Amino acid sequence: MPGQVVVTGLGIVSPIGIGVSEFWKAALAGHSGVSTITSFDPFPMDGYRSKVAGQVRGFSPERYLDSVQAERVDRYAQFALVAAKEALADSGLQMAREDPRRVGVIVGAGMGGMVMGEREITQLYQHQRPHRVHPNFIPVITLNSASGIVAMAHGAKGPNYTVSTACSSSAHALGQAMQCIKEGRADVVITVGADASITPLVFAGFCSLRALSTKYNDQPERASRPFDRLRDGFVMGEGAGALVLESSVHAKKRRARIYAEVAGYAATSEAYHMVIPREDGEEIATTMRLAMADAGLTPANIDYINAHATSTTIGDAVETKALRQVFRTRADKLAINATKSLVGHTLGAAGAIGGIATVLAIHTGQIHPTANYEEPDPACALRGLSSSVQERKVKAALLNAFGFGSNNAAVVIKRYAA
Amino acid sequence: MSDRAITEKIIQALADYLRRNPESIDPKHHLRDDLGLDSMAVIELLYKIEEAFDIQIPDEDLVRLSTVGAVCQYVEHRLAPAKRPAARSRAAKSRKKN
Repeated sequence: MPGQVVVTGLGIVSPIGIGVSEFWKAALAGHSGVSTITSFDPFPMDGYRSKVAGQVRGFSPERYLDSVQAERVDRYAQFALVAAKEALADSGLQMAREDPRRVGVIVGAGMGGMVMGEREITQLYQHQRPHRVHPNFIPVITLNSASGIVAMAHGAKGPNYTVSTACSSSAHALGQAMQCIKEGRADVVITVGADASITPLVFAGFCSLRALSTKYNDQPERASRPFDRLRDGFVMGEGAGALVLESSVHAKKRRARIYAEVAGYAATSEAYHMVIPREDGEEIATTMRLAMADAGLTPANIDYINAHATSTTIGDAVETKALRQVFRTRADKLAINATKSLVGHTLGAAGAIGGIATVLAIHTGQIHPTANYEEPDPACALRGLSSSVQERKVKAALLNAFGFGSNNAAVVIKRYAA
Repeated sequence: MSDRAITEKIIQALADYLRRNPESIDPKHHLRDDLGLDSMAVIELLYKIEEAFDIQIPDEDLVRLSTVGAVCQYVEHRLAPAKRPAARSRAAKSRKKN
């Protein structure tokens, strides 16, 4: 019997810090990691409607990885490697003592290796020299390059795959990892969310979708403002989060520190629209209900929501409606925050980074501020939002994540009780 | 380009997009409520209009473009800045922002 599924290690690469302690310190201080994109070398930003993003600054992969490993993968997979390495070290898991076939890797990634992808495509079209396409192009842009390289780095021979559901990718990865362990297919799953696609083409694409904030180009740190009345779109971010998920039996056997339990998960489709959520919020509400049922909990058991909250006008309002439908009057008793207010929308990494914030809220009793939550919007009026740290003994929390392609995910993370 | 030509071109673009007769489209029609365009479809339409008239439409102007007539008037203003000082300053701002 695998018992419960618990979190025993955390690792992160984010716009507000590389490493969990740096991230959490900045998160509790409500720091914004959003900054101006100075240029997409070699061309300037003039033609871009949005000019800000949650960028990971000063990331030099050689500092964390051996150079051969780092050179062969794209930026998002480098992030994944660094986050996974930290999470494994944090968990105390020693691969030499493990059965490698019982250790899996599941990664959530929305865009994948776009840095090299864009460069190679541009060069091919410009110079029309197909023989000069880099031999590593295919392995790098294949969407499972991160799950592959993380397994290779640690000799993890268990289930290995990538979940790609746009902005909810790594929330689904967390759910899949939980199920994988519950089904007895692995003792440990290194679960990662990673994306790094603040690249000329992808960024232009999001600008063309008119999904990004454009009003705060001169004040980047104010641009990501989920639930605030003056929000005007999401801010793209990049990063990676890693969580070591493990069966409680396995964790206890090796006397690991247990942060929290991943207790329930639901995955649904709205079957509605590629990029627009259903405005009544019913599908999101259903997803949250299913995740709670999977965990054997009811709305009365939940006291904290790590909201999807991208800072778009419609998205935050719909999520609020869904929360009201599920929690009714209790909606105002819940602590709620939006990790994207700090780091922007890290796409495929968002579920994992939000997951880390959720685990740490349970572990430390502190809910990080929602940065830039200054003026409540009547369409998103929820009392549990705050631009300050909230102290709260969280017993159970919901992590929400919704993605293009009309998909929703919700994960229940709760305090671990043996 | 005359205002009438602009209107005709926009209505034709809408008719092509919706696969319906241009005569069935009225300037009074609301893009969402009457023509059934969702927000993504409006963005696609404006993308085509930007190309057809060689203009850039900033995000903050989108809220004003709810009817066929409003889109036509907006494009007319943007293409004739000299005649309308208010429109010129708006167009200049949007050029700068983009």
